[in-house]
Amino acid sequence: MERGKLWPGSVVALLLVYLFLPIAATLLFSFAKQWQSELLPDAYTLAWYKQIFTDVRFLEAIGRSVFIGVVSVALSLLVLVPAIFVLAVYFPKWERAMQAAALLPFAFPPVVSAIGLMKLYSSGPLPITGTPWILIGVYLTIVQPYIYQSVRGSLRTIRAGELVEAAEMLGAGRWTAFRRVILPNILPGTMVAALLSFSIIFGEFVMAKMLVGGEYETVQMYLYNEMKSTGQTASAVVIAYFALILVLSGLTLKLGRWKPGRGRRQTQRRNRHELRSDRERAEGLSAAAGAEPGPY
Amino acid sequence: MVRAGASQRKIMLLALLPFVIWVSAFELVPIGRMLMMSFQDSDGQGFTLGHYVKGLSGPIYVQALTNSLRIALLSSVIAIFVALFCAYAITRYTTRMRDTLLMLTNMIGNFAGVPLAFAFMILMGNNGVFTIIAREFGFDSFGAFDLYSELGLTLIYVYFQVPLAVMLLYPAYYGIREEWREAAAVLGASAYRFWRHIGIPMLLPSIVGTFGMLFANALGAYATAYALTGSIYNLLSVRISALVSGDIFPNFELGSALAVILAAIMLSAILLNEWMSRLSRRRGL
Amino acid sequence: MRKAYQQQPVLNRVHIEIGEGELVTLLGPSGCGKSTLLRAIAGLTSIDEGSIEIGGRDVTALPPKARQVGMVFQSYALFPNMTVFENIAFGLKMDGMKRADYTPLVEEMIGIIALEGMEDRYPAQLSGGQQQRVALGRALVKRPKVLLLDEPLSALDAQIRRSLRGEIRAIQRKLRMTTVFVTHDQEEALTISDRIIVMNRGGIEQEGAPEDIYAAPATEFVSRFIGSYNVWERTRLSDAGLAGWPPGELFAVRPEAIVIRPASEEPAGAESSCIVVSGRVGSISILGSIKRFEVDAGALGTVTVDALHDAHSRRLQEAADVKLYIPREACSPLRKSS
Repeated sequence: MERGKLWPGSVVALLLVYLFLPIAATLLFSFAKQWQSELLPDAYTLAWYKQIFTDVRFLEAIGRSVFIGVVSVALSLLVLVPAIFVLAVYFPKWERAMQAAALLPFAFPPVVSAIGLMKLYSSGPLPITGTPWILIGVYLTIVQPYIYQSVRGSLRTIRAGELVEAAEMLGAGRWTAFRRVILPNILPGTMVAALLSFSIIFGEFVMAKMLVGGEYETVQMYLYNEMKSTGQTASAVVIAYFALILVLSGLTLKLGRWKPGRGRRQTQRRNRHELRSDRERAEGLSAAAGAEPGPY
Repeated sequence: MVRAGASQRKIMLLALLPFVIWVSAFELVPIGRMLMMSFQDSDGQGFTLGHYVKGLSGPIYVQALTNSLRIALLSSVIAIFVALFCAYAITRYTTRMRDTLLMLTNMIGNFAGVPLAFAFMILMGNNGVFTIIAREFGFDSFGAFDLYSELGLTLIYVYFQVPLAVMLLYPAYYGIREEWREAAAVLGASAYRFWRHIGIPMLLPSIVGTFGMLFANALGAYATAYALTGSIYNLLSVRISALVSGDIFPNFELGSALAVILAAIMLSAILLNEWMSRLSRRRGL
Repeated sequence: MRKAYQQQPVLNRVHIEIGEGELVTLLGPSGCGKSTLLRAIAGLTSIDEGSIEIGGRDVTALPPKARQVGMVFQSYALFPNMTVFENIAFGLKMDGMKRADYTPLVEEMIGIIALEGMEDRYPAQLSGGQQQRVALGRALVKRPKVLLLDEPLSALDAQIRRSLRGEIRAIQRKLRMTTVFVTHDQEEALTISDRIIVMNRGGIEQEGAPEDIYAAPATEFVSRFIGSYNVWERTRLSDAGLAGWPPGELFAVRPEAIVIRPASEEPAGAESSCIVVSGRVGSISILGSIKRFEVDAGALGTVTVDALHDAHSRRLQEAADVKLYIPREACSPLRKSS
């Protein structure tokens, strides 16, 4: 049936305006020399950006956030990807356990799970409360749902079980099969999950504050502190942060469309024919990218 | 599924070991510890239900709970209502457009927490853009709108709930087959009547499930409220955090009890969502 | 009902007229435009040029619900959240009927489609054939002016397909319902139709009663589509050194019209009315009561010959030398496809 594009268009436009309004206001604020009681600022300046990018504290905060993000994601992939693969291909009956584990961060938000973590690791054999290591530890559990969703989806798409069997019949050992056959093919999906996880970790505030507090200042905490003092440097930080998220999301989008071994044009053509599996793909995307236990 | 010899299976299990250890260490054991603490008295000994009693009857905590529930309920309902239209609108576009739109919505989701509170302060704070506009136009009552009140907080919550709702809801629209609409049209139904008799009933499990997720999400939210009002506004999540990491004397045991209560509510909401998805699948959606 | 329109590129200059109470089948391969034509009648697709009239009324600008047509979809399109009863009652409900008024009509229809006792079942609990009957009942209960069926039996297995199509024809006859039936299955079309319209690439190849379409295909496309016709060009025939063909450039001969005999036999009096060709049996397939011979006939290529499974044909083995007797009157001249 034919339907006009008029009303969906206006709904989407309205939605986009609504969503981007706060960001637009912040953007404006970050360029304003002074903005007190006027509708629009009197003068514009780049001074605030200059200020934060020359602020050692800010740069250190970025460094810390990046460090935690990269290490967490790397470790998570290292631990989770083999586990997901082994479960999916060799022990499918136990996959329920991993799916249940994926629900845990939603049922036990950062506020809640931080309590036990704080107490448990403040003393004793592993006193990592107050250090970045406890953050790295807990972030794995936060990003596990997204990595699971992505990797599992990729494994399903490439029919990993059959590939492994074919490889084994041709004489490859289990580890070789995994390394040479499976890994290259799930790489795009894994990268998408990695980028997503990185942006979630980068935006995470609650755990960072509760578990580490003032001693290890991440970007989010820096922002919070700046907010309480002067307003306008904070807006520059926000915009810088948003720009980073924009870049990461764009990368995620590009990667999400890429298929191994094909040129760009072929990938585009292929994507247009994917409407049949739209439902599954849609569910995977939304479940992977929605429902964040992170920054709220 | 691939068959493996018995000894090989044992080697496989090794691959699972790091994961199991990790989840236990950073999720299961802490939760267990928290559970334990909730039953201990202030010295960390014994077994008592005192904290639960205090949490469920102490006026400040009851108020925190009701505030949290109210904001969660209101923001989730509004967000779902908005998302119903937006998710449907998004499904009308091609895959490419749709992915881009979703990427944008997802980005906004990432914006939540401290940056969002700040942005709203710019927009609607005491010297915010909208506040000033309203004052210029003489809408003084709007000028009296307090971002730092419950209404203001709810507004911000709606802001980050909508993208989440859209993301969770839109796949369900793909289950609504075009042929049902065509059949309904030939049988004499207008668009409104189609949605009323067929579309919405089919979507209902997804809607309820999404509501559960939104509700849990709002309940557990902490960063936004904290960034906006510090520990002033009485929300359950804020209360819990204050009890364990605030400046005043920490009370881990009471905090744990409150956290368990919060988690119990959220767990039921999540389970509701799971049950609803299963229902959708069985209905053949 | 009368209709005339033209549209590019899916449908091109199509003009059809369907009489009241007639069951007309739109037959053709995928992509020929038959479904588009059907949906245009329903109002689900718009047309660029032309008009559609139903019962003398111009409905071209009207939405589907105002056209008084009923439609049955290939995938049934039953509403999963409603029972059989509610599905059938839906159209009447949309017309504003009260429950007390539509209940007897729905129950009557359930009787016609032979699903008594199933009123409270949900579509997921029904078999494919039962679902399709519900879809039929749902469309018919409103007594539409025209019933449109879009490949309704394609999703069913062969046995059910055959019994259901007979039921559909019976119900259609009983209700004297003007019906347009779309299918790509020529056996289906030949069995149930009053008239067949063969379509190809957006245009009409041939129209006529089933016997006419089958026995006298007008174009090369129709003859290749219906049955397993042998189609030959005149040039090939002259290359084969055969004489006595009727005038024309292209011919079609039905496989069952050709008589196949062992080369050693000499039936009397055949030469005057037949063209005789020698050949060797390539392969034999058994199609139930018919045996199909693929005969290698030299310059004429492979000839398909069907023979009844009787004493004569049983004597013929693979690689046997045979003579083919092609009656001249069985050679249908064809025109090239549009």
